[in-house]
Parts: sequence; C-alpha cells; structure tokens
Amino acid sequence: MKSKISAKGVNVYYGEKQALKNISIEIGEKEVTALIGPSGCGKSTFLRCLNRMNDVIDICRVEGSIKFDNLEINSKELDVVRLRENVGMVFQKPNPFPKTIYENIAYGPTIHGLVQSKQELDEIVETSLKKAALWNEVKDRLHEIGTGLSGGQQQRLCIARAISIKPEVILMDEPCSALDPIATAQIEELIDELKNEHTIVIVTHSMSQAARVSQKTGFFHLGNLIEFDSTEKIFKNPGNQQTQDYITGRFG
Amino acid sequence: MNNKRKNFLEKRYKSEKRFQLFGLASISLALIFLVIFLIKIFSNGYSAFTKTWIFVEVNYDRELLLLEENPSSEDLNNADYYDIAYQSIIALDPEVDESSETFLIEMFAYNYELEIKNYLKKNPSDLGKIVKLKLTASDDIDQINKGNYPRDIPEENRRVNNYQLKIFDMLEARGDIINTFNLSFFTNPDSREAELAGIASSFMGTLFSILVCLVFSFPIAVLAGIYLEEFAPKNKFTDFIEVNINNLAAVPSIVFGLLGLGVLINIFGLPRSTPLVGGITLSLMTLPTIIIAARASLKAVPPSIKEAALAMGASKMQTTLHHAVPLSMPGTLSGTIIGLAQALGETAPLILIGMVAFVNTIPGSPLDPAASLPVQVYIWSESAERGFVEKVSACIMVLLIFLITMNLTAQIIRHRFEKKWS
Amino acid sequence: MNEKSHIVKSYEEQLLLLKDTIVKMGTKAEKQLELSIQAMVRKDLELAKKIITDDEQIDRYEFSIEEQVVNLIALRQPMAIDLRETVVALKISSDLERIGDLSKNIAKRIISIQEVISSELIKGLEIAGLKTVRQVNLVLNSYLHRDKDITENVWNSDEEIDQLTNSNMEMVLKKLETEKNQIQLTQLLFIAKNIERIGDHATNIAEQVYFLITGDYLEGQRPKG
Repeated sequence: MKSKISAKGVNVYYGEKQALKNISIEIGEKEVTALIGPSGCGKSTFLRCLNRMNDVIDICRVEGSIKFDNLEINSKELDVVRLRENVGMVFQKPNPFPKTIYENIAYGPTIHGLVQSKQELDEIVETSLKKAALWNEVKDRLHEIGTGLSGGQQQRLCIARAISIKPEVILMDEPCSALDPIATAQIEELIDELKNEHTIVIVTHSMSQAARVSQKTGFFHLGNLIEFDSTEKIFKNPGNQQTQDYITGRFG
Repeated sequence: MNNKRKNFLEKRYKSEKRFQLFGLASISLALIFLVIFLIKIFSNGYSAFTKTWIFVEVNYDRELLLLEENPSSEDLNNADYYDIAYQSIIALDPEVDESSETFLIEMFAYNYELEIKNYLKKNPSDLGKIVKLKLTASDDIDQINKGNYPRDIPEENRRVNNYQLKIFDMLEARGDIINTFNLSFFTNPDSREAELAGIASSFMGTLFSILVCLVFSFPIAVLAGIYLEEFAPKNKFTDFIEVNINNLAAVPSIVFGLLGLGVLINIFGLPRSTPLVGGITLSLMTLPTIIIAARASLKAVPPSIKEAALAMGASKMQTTLHHAVPLSMPGTLSGTIIGLAQALGETAPLILIGMVAFVNTIPGSPLDPAASLPVQVYIWSESAERGFVEKVSACIMVLLIFLITMNLTAQIIRHRFEKKWS
Repeated sequence: MNEKSHIVKSYEEQLLLLKDTIVKMGTKAEKQLELSIQAMVRKDLELAKKIITDDEQIDRYEFSIEEQVVNLIALRQPMAIDLRETVVALKISSDLERIGDLSKNIAKRIISIQEVISSELIKGLEIAGLKTVRQVNLVLNSYLHRDKDITENVWNSDEEIDQLTNSNMEMVLKKLETEKNQIQLTQLLFIAKNIERIGDHATNIAEQVYFLITGDYLEGQRPKG
C-alpha cells in the first residue's frame, strides 16, 4: 500500500504539557485508518496536526516531520489554505454553516475559485450531495437552511461540504458520536464508498466502529502510539497487552 | 430519626419560601417606585398635550389693513395687522376701560397678531369679512383652564387678576374657550413663552446627534472589535488596550464633554452647539459599549463554525467576514442600540459643548445649532413659569418613548435574527 | 497470560461461566471415553448402557455453551482475547460433543458383540483408548491453565494414536482372514476407528486452545498416520 501521509517523530506540546510523544505512523493511500484510545490520549490532537488545525490554539507547538506525499505539513512556509484544500475535515458535532444547503456545499468551491459558472457550481453541489448519499433527501429543498436537517443529515451535509473541493485526504473527528445508530450506519457506509477515492483518517471512540470501517488501526494512550497494525490484527489478536486491555474493556 | 428528618425538610421548605419572598418584595418595591415615577410624570405632563384656545371675532377690514381689492400674497404678508388684532381682542369686552385693555391682550399668546395674519394668508377670500378665529391663549389662561392655578388666593399673589378671571368665565360660559390636542408642542421650536414652546428643535437635535453618533461610532467600534477579538495577537499591548476600553466605558460622561469642547470645538473649530459636535462627543461614549458588545457577540459565535470554515481552507479573514461577523451582527446591533440609547439620555457632555443654548429654530442639518431632549428637560426645568412644569414632564415622556422604542428595536433584532442563524 | 479483570463485572462472570461449562463438559466427555474403554475391557454391559444414557448430559452442555456464546456475541460484542475465548468455546464444545458421541458409539458396539474376543485384540484397543483418554485429559488441562506447550505436545502425539490404530486394524483384519465366521469382529474395526477419531478431535481442541492462547494457528503439516 502506498503511503499518503507519513509522520516521523511527532511531538506536540500544549504549553508545558506534552500531548503527543514521538509519534511515527504511515497512513496508506485510499484506505481508512482508525485512531482509537481513551479520552485525552492525543488521537484528536494528532488528527488536527494533519491539516494544521492546531494552529488555532496559541499555546500548541508541533515538532517533527509530517509528510503529505512530498510536502512537509509541519513547516512554517507551508500555505495552510492549499493544505486544507487537499486535506478536508469532518467534525464531531455536525457543524453546517447556518446558511442554505446549497450555500454550504458551494462555499468551498467558491473560495478556492474552482468554478467559472453557476452551472458548474450546480454540478459540484449535486455530485457532492450524491456522493454523500444526501441528494435524494434534500434535492427539493436546496435553498432551505442546512441547520434544519436532522443530525445524521447534517453530518452527511458536512461530509458533502468536505468532498466538494475533492480533497485527497478526509479527516474525521468522531463523526458519529452525536448520531443515532441508523445515521451512524449511513455514515459508515459512506466512509466505505469514499475510500475508493479518498484517504480517510477517522478518530473514534467506538471500537466496533473502528473495526467496521477501517483497514488500519492505531491505538493511542497517554500521548503514545502504542500499537499500529491492520484492523484485523488489532481486534483479533493485538500485539500489545495495553491494546488488548483497552479493546476488551479491561482498562484502568 | 424520622421526626428529625421531617423537621429538617420543613426548615428547608420554609427557608426556600423566605428566600422567594425576599425576591418578590424587592421586585415589588422596584415596581412601586416605577409606578410612582410614571404616575407623577404622567399626571404632571398629560395636560401639556392639550392647548387652550379663545374664539375671537376678527374683522378683516380692508381699509384698516390698507389693502387693495384682491391683494397679492406679498401685500398680505406686508400688511400691518396690529390694529385689527388689537380691535378684535378689545371687542371681547364692550365695557372695557383703557387701563384694562392690556389685561385683555395679555390673555393671549404674544403672537396673536401672527396667527391672525397667517389665517388671512391661507384664506385671502375672507378679506373684508368677519371671521370667528381661535387664538392661542396665554400660558396663564391655559393653566387656569386646565385647573392648575388656584383661584381662591389673594389677587396680588395670582398671575391672573380678577378682571381677567371675569372675562375668562364669561368667555367660557359662551363656549368660546376650547381645549384641543396640542400639535404645536411637537411642531414648534423652543420659546420663551410656555404656551408656544415645543420640542421640535430638541427632537431633531437628538435625532441628528444619534445619527452622527451612529455613523461615527459603529464602523470604528465594529472594526476595532473584530480586530481585537479575531486578529490581534495576545500580548501585553493588546491586554493594555483591552483594559483601557473597559475603563473608557466607566469614564464619567462629563469628561467626554470636556474632550469635545477642548478638541472638537477649540482645536478643530467645528461649529459649537451643533448635533455634529454633540454626536461625535457622544460617539466617544458609545465606542467602548459597542466594542464590548461586538467582541462579546463574536466570542459567542460557536467555534465549530469557525473551525468548519478554516477546515474548508478559508483564510482567517474569510472565516471572520463570511461567518463570524454575520453571526455576531444581531448581538452587535442590539449592543449598538443600547449604547445609543444611553447616549440619548446624556445631558452633561452636551451642555459642555454648548447644546444648551436657546434655539428657536428647527435644525435642518447636523450643522445647525440645536438642543436635545434631555437638555430641553434641563432648560425647561430651570424656568419659573407654571406652564413649563408640565412641558418638562411631557418632554420626559417623549424621551422615554424614544428610549423604549430603541430598546424594543434592539430586542426585536436580537430575537428575529438570532433564531434564524442558530 | 494473566488477564486483568473486566470493568464490567457481569461480563467477566459470563466469560468465567463459559469457561467453567467447557471444563465441566470436557470432564464429562473424558469420563465417558474412559468408561467406554473400561466397559470394553471388562465386557461390562451395564456400564455400556449407562454410558449410552449419560450421553444426553453432554448434549445438554453443548446446548448451554451454544446459548452462552450466542448471547455473548449478541450482547457483549467480545473483542480480541474475549472474542477468541467465545469462538473457541463454540468449536471446542462441538469437538467434545463428537467425543461423547463416539464414546457412546463404542459402548453400543460393545453391547452388540456377543462372541468372546481374544484378549490380545482388546489389549491393543485398550492401549490406544487409554492413550486418547490421556490426550483428552491433557488438552483439557491446557485449556484450563492456558498452557501452550501442552497443546503442542498433544498436537504432536496424535501420530502415535494413528499408528496404534493402524496396527490394531491390521490385527483385526488378520484375525478376520483366519476366522471368517467371526463376522462381529468388524465391530472392533469401528471401535478402533472411533478411538482414532476421538484422538483427532483432541488434536482439533489442541489447535483451538493454541489459537485461543496465541491468536495464531498451529503451523506445519498436521501429523497424519
């Protein structure tokens, strides 16, 4: 499997506190990598290193090398806007813009200047919504406010928004934690579809979800990457006792 | 044990009730004060909204007016109405002697001649006819009519003498004294005569000041708020600015008045007593309020929305302008209106920059001298005549309605738009 | 491996109960096997009948284990070691049930043999039978104590049973050639084959226990006779 993102010796500090310790990981192209671990283990922090969302936090400092293809993500010279055009993100709580469904999807292509005409934009909106399996539900109300949708629909809208600019990588930060099981299943099905065209990194609290959707799983604990292996191996026969204790519910 | 527990519970319920009672008592007290205040203002002020007129038969004698037949409007304007006016009023009492004529004249507002002239100007065809006209009564007669002056005190302590009282009673018996809605209170500028004084100039002055204040403070404050909240690095210098903005909000308003006087008038040479200077001075006061409101409502924009925009690859400025600012607008606007409402009630800084001057014209632009409503209250409350007492209250009522309207607008904006965006 | 206990106590208890049921079932199956060999050696028809009726107990254990496993999977979604524990329990129980069945089958065949059989033949079968009893006993111990080495031993010594079975069958066949009228000797062929298959089931269990402990499969060509 070709590696899309390759992190080497990543350390992250929040002020004095070290949140991630010497993380090295290879994220394969067009597959789903799940990051699991107890709360505060650093998995979300690591995810946010991949599209530089940690920049928002003043006291956050990232060391080490994270390569996206041949591009150094963790470099001062990097154009963050360009990076985020290629690395989309879906958040824990569905956070559509308080605008219409159409405007939500059209936002990305518009600010990145990907379209020349209204017609092109319409096409992007339609294909994005179709890929996010939302088109049939919303095609008659594209100009209604996006926040009026149900939680699951909102999250699929956010995914549609993320894929509207055709990023190579999609980061998902516990995308189903606020959703009911049916909506969760729809998102999981979507992830399965999306991995044909995108590299996906998903942080999840639900181990069964990690098992269901991912090909590779990384287990984080106290800022360390304890184990990173194929999902099958992790859930059938993890190599590390801590991993085993965590996934079988023997933690603490 | 069980009993002990029961007692404990009872005690708890009692203390809870007591606590609620205290709250209720304090709210009632506040309400009582408010009601007393409103009753006082209203009972003092409601009579200012009516006006006393006296019917007088005016003989527009062409010869006395020295006018040709079918005179031009210019001729009508230049004619001398003094004689016919004087004659018409004197005619009210056929037995009048020379010494009482002045008393009769004093029963009318001093501009009776103007009123008679204006009628003819409007109805030139009535030249040569005898017309029954209603003329504004003087404020003393007005007060007698409204029952605000006691009649049973010695004549020398009264502002209306026995002769005037006798004529008043006679006219009233004939039905020639009437009371109508006092439109001139809203359309007239200030005047030395209570019966003619109106709030038009101070109302317009206030309006212009508020507009100037809005135009100056809103853009500056919003930009400052956005910069401080979203862009400024967190360091000693921005902390210092932040502290000072908060301090600014607490500076006594009279200090801003001094600043306005010293800088705007003396250094920049802006015209004194004008809403322009008043508005700029007031905007100094509203600036911190709006900055604080803008920052607070920017802070209240869910970080998830900003993150969503950033993750889509929007730049910091795009994130702020496309998402944060529109979402924060309802809060900022209602904060602005509340800041303006505060400024609206300010008197001290306006007095310092000279908006306390007597203005008997209605300002047509922010560059004309004007008063403002609270200053008008201040000016009138200084006056001795009983006629101004009710005007003070009436003016306060107008000011209150102005304020309530603004605060209501703030509320409506907040509710209407916040729901839509959340 | 010494596992910490689960955060959810009732889950822990359910897993312990499953393990306990397997051990009980295994003990019963081992006992049935041992008794069937005894019944054969002593020609004890009463004992043989008892074995046949007792087989029902083993079926009941198997049913109980199946139910527990399905419940665990449906309600607890076991992962990793717990998943292996559950799945392996299901497979071991089916092997044990087969061991019980085959023991019952031996008992049935003993009853149907009326003629006197040369003790030489019985001896051979007894040796093979006792060897399988030991295999079953060892593999159950390895399950109980999670001992990887024992499982490997059991797995490797299955070949011996295969060889014993082969020589037993040859002996019976030779006998059949000389004494053509002793048609019931064919029953001994089946008994010999049953013993061999019980040994195979013990080997299966050894493989399962090995997977349970290590998560890996026993490698290499399985020793076949």
